[in-house]
Amino acid sequence: MKILIIEDEKELVGVIKKFLEPEGFLCETACSYFEAEDSLSSYIYDIIILDLTLPGGNGLDLIKLIKKTNKKAGLLIVSAKNSLDDKIRGLDMGADDYITKPFHLAELNSRIKSLARRRHFDGANELVFNEIRINTDSNEVFINGKVLDLTKKEYEILLYFIVNRNKVITRESIAEHVWGDNISYADNFDFIYSHIKNIRKKIEINNGRNYLHNMYGLGYKFSER
Amino acid sequence: MRLLQKTNRAYFLISGMVFIIAGVVFYFVISFFFKDQLNEKLFHDIKNITRSIKKNGTLPYYYPFIDIKEVPAQPEQSFKIIDTLIFNAFEKREIPFRQISLIRVINGKEYFIAARDTLLEEDDLLEVIAIVTGSVFILLLVSLYFINRKLSLKLWQPFYNTLDEIKEFSYDKPGFKLSSDSQLYEFTELNKTLEKLTQKVISDYQSLKRFTEDASHEIQTPLAVIQSKLETLMQYPGLKKEQAELINSAYVYTLRISKLTKTLLLLTKIANDQFPEKKAINLSELLSEKIKMFEDHILEKSLTLNKEIKPECILETNFFLTESLVINLIGNAVKHNINSGIINIKLDKNHLEISNSGEPLPVKASKLFDRFYKTNKSSDSPGLGLSIVREICRLNKWDVNYLYEDNLHKVEVNF
Repeated sequence: MKILIIEDEKELVGVIKKFLEPEGFLCETACSYFEAEDSLSSYIYDIIILDLTLPGGNGLDLIKLIKKTNKKAGLLIVSAKNSLDDKIRGLDMGADDYITKPFHLAELNSRIKSLARRRHFDGANELVFNEIRINTDSNEVFINGKVLDLTKKEYEILLYFIVNRNKVITRESIAEHVWGDNISYADNFDFIYSHIKNIRKKIEINNGRNYLHNMYGLGYKFSER
Repeated sequence: MRLLQKTNRAYFLISGMVFIIAGVVFYFVISFFFKDQLNEKLFHDIKNITRSIKKNGTLPYYYPFIDIKEVPAQPEQSFKIIDTLIFNAFEKREIPFRQISLIRVINGKEYFIAARDTLLEEDDLLEVIAIVTGSVFILLLVSLYFINRKLSLKLWQPFYNTLDEIKEFSYDKPGFKLSSDSQLYEFTELNKTLEKLTQKVISDYQSLKRFTEDASHEIQTPLAVIQSKLETLMQYPGLKKEQAELINSAYVYTLRISKLTKTLLLLTKIANDQFPEKKAINLSELLSEKIKMFEDHILEKSLTLNKEIKPECILETNFFLTESLVINLIGNAVKHNINSGIINIKLDKNHLEISNSGEPLPVKASKLFDRFYKTNKSSDSPGLGLSIVREICRLNKWDVNYLYEDNLHKVEVNF
């Protein structure tokens, strides 16, 4: 799957690329308005990540070009401006999703994967990790073919882990993903811990293996180890 | 005290003093001139009398005004001026007289000649002067008062106009202009200076706002780089516990700065009134939805939640800001609660009340809404939540209050 990252901050482009490439994405980059114009007119991409504040021009104008040359591409807008205006305008012009700087890489990855699922699997959305299978259309999780009874939040957390498998996921990133930006009003993350305990228990009861590992104080990693 | 009152008071005081002095001076001047006049007349009388004696040899007598006696063998005596009291039969009392007397030898006989006339009585004179000056004084005051009032109101009208206009001044509304077109130098100068001043205030405020906004934006990108680099660093296999702890603490602080700049930006935007979109919002639904968002936190702290939400509280306002307000208030009630505490949330048509258990505030409640105010200095939160609440309420002209009663911290918003 081919991704175009339009972002002027080279350091940021580097880390995004490094995070996404092991996920099986082919990443190309454009660091200015003109480079982006060039790439967009010459190639077809599956997903485009667009930073709205670019040297050389307004990112919103690029959306028009994308809609002409890369109609089918999933478009994710990135902006340093947490402004509702930009968000509404971007989405109105045909962007699929919007994320504000600074973001968690895991969150970016999850948004891109979700865009990718919507583009390519035409309905039958399934994620498989060994004995665990997730249907993202019906929001159901199966272990060895048996439905796992999860609450909405447990489902969202598990999906986030499986999308970001083999990566260290911080508690802050989980909290923001599931509860939204405003979670900062909590002074601790104990409530995440109890959800994770429940997920582990439910998987265990259904004879699943424990893939959820604590990573010191950092967070969790979903992996075979 | 009003300016008019002050000038009137000064006018009254000064003219009062002037009139008292004038009265005293009048008294002395009048009595001096009167006595001088009287003397002249009496001298004249004496001259006539002596002439008449010389010519006719008869002695005119007109007591007490003319009094002539033969005083044999007395030496001649020059003029003598005295004031004396003489009994008046009609008035049955003594009346003051001025007397000029002399002893002269006429036709070989010695005569004592005295010419007299009534002196002005002092209390009569005082009375007259008091009445005259007093009535002039009162007349002056009354006319001064009315002239002053009329003139002052007219003269100061441009000043009051300017004052009214400047009261409407708000630093976040550009294009402020004073309309008063006074012909008076002082007021045109005042208006010019005020206009210059307000324009400076507005432009300073604008550039400060722009600075805050730009600074927050500029900080976001480096923060995004740091945050993503740290997240990448976390992915390295074989991290030692110590290294992970270092990364984590750098990470947590990075997130804290980014949250802080976002919040500051939000505050700036509210102050800039950059949330013009308004629509009808069902606060009852919004509130219930946001309470749900916090249910995990409420459960975690074993809090008891009492809801009393009347349906259909509809507000015509900005959705994003109202959401922010609600999240901040519920968030605070959860965060500053004690374990197994209480949260009460009440909503009716134009009144929202959120209260939570907790220790009383260590300082004044009025400081609670200030930026960066926190009761616990070591707390992780920057203490901006309630200033966001206040700004949102100010923008919407809602009334927000904090009080502590029955061991509950209570924040009320009246729409």
